[in-house]
Amino acid sequence: MDALVRALMPYVGRVCGAIALDRGDDAMQETFIAILRNLGSLRDPAALHGWVRRIAVREAIRVAKGGEVPVDPAAMLAPEAAPVDVATLLDVRAALAGLTPDQRAMLVLRDLDGLSESEVAEHLHVPAGTVKSRLHRARRAFAQRWAR
Amino acid sequence: MSTVPSPWPVASLDPLRRAKVIAAAVPGSAWVEGVLDAPYEATWGWVTDLPVSVPQFDFQVRRIDVRARWIENGVERQRIVASGRGTKLGFDVWLEDGFCLMRGRRRLYLVVMAARPEEGGARTRFVHLEAVPLPGARVLRGVLRLAVRSDFRNLARIASAGF
Repeated sequence: MDALVRALMPYVGRVCGAIALDRGDDAMQETFIAILRNLGSLRDPAALHGWVRRIAVREAIRVAKGGEVPVDPAAMLAPEAAPVDVATLLDVRAALAGLTPDQRAMLVLRDLDGLSESEVAEHLHVPAGTVKSRLHRARRAFAQRWAR
Repeated sequence: MSTVPSPWPVASLDPLRRAKVIAAAVPGSAWVEGVLDAPYEATWGWVTDLPVSVPQFDFQVRRIDVRARWIENGVERQRIVASGRGTKLGFDVWLEDGFCLMRGRRRLYLVVMAARPEEGGARTRFVHLEAVPLPGARVLRGVLRLAVRSDFRNLARIASAGF
């Protein structure tokens, strides 16, 4: 059980961090609780990665929508994070914070995980044709905030 | 085409949250969280010397023998035997900075200790969890809760005295 948590931590941390931002740690905790409680329902071990991705995206969106989280640049960095480029990381977080959780989930699935538009649609339960336009809006919104 | 530069924000699961994930996922579990009046380094160093620490804060255990110790994928592993009141129980141990998981042989019992610095490292936030990961073990929660609370009270007293 804990070995699974240890193995999945880097991936789940990326998904939850990018979608839930300052509540990413909460989302990560909720994701792992859901994973461990429902592990018995996973029939095909080969489907683990996709199954975990679905849960992480769902929980990250849910937690991110659970309350307004003020964007405080000073509080954005955990001391142990020690990023190579602090300014870049802060800018990315600030730009992502201007998007909705659903938009962030779209960017994570398409740009971070490399899913196709139809796969993104399946994950987020939206029509395939909707993904293209929403993704375009999400990317444009991110780019505008990133360029400020 | 990606418009998103790297690096992306990354969430983390600190040792205390990791313990709580296990607590939430295992029905027959009980845990306690509190702050110990001792620095993190001293606390974790003492607690993870299992033959010394466990018999002092868990009165059900008279003795811990370390039968094997090795490193596996960057994690310290131990095989120990806990003896007390005529019983002996073997445990597999996974030991990381701030996180210690002890799983009884045949997976009948689970103990987790997790810690992180509090107030700049002067004190230590600590979670102690015990679980029986078996179907129907939920009924044992009351007994386990008494056990973890007792252990934590002892631990807090020892920490306040400077180990």
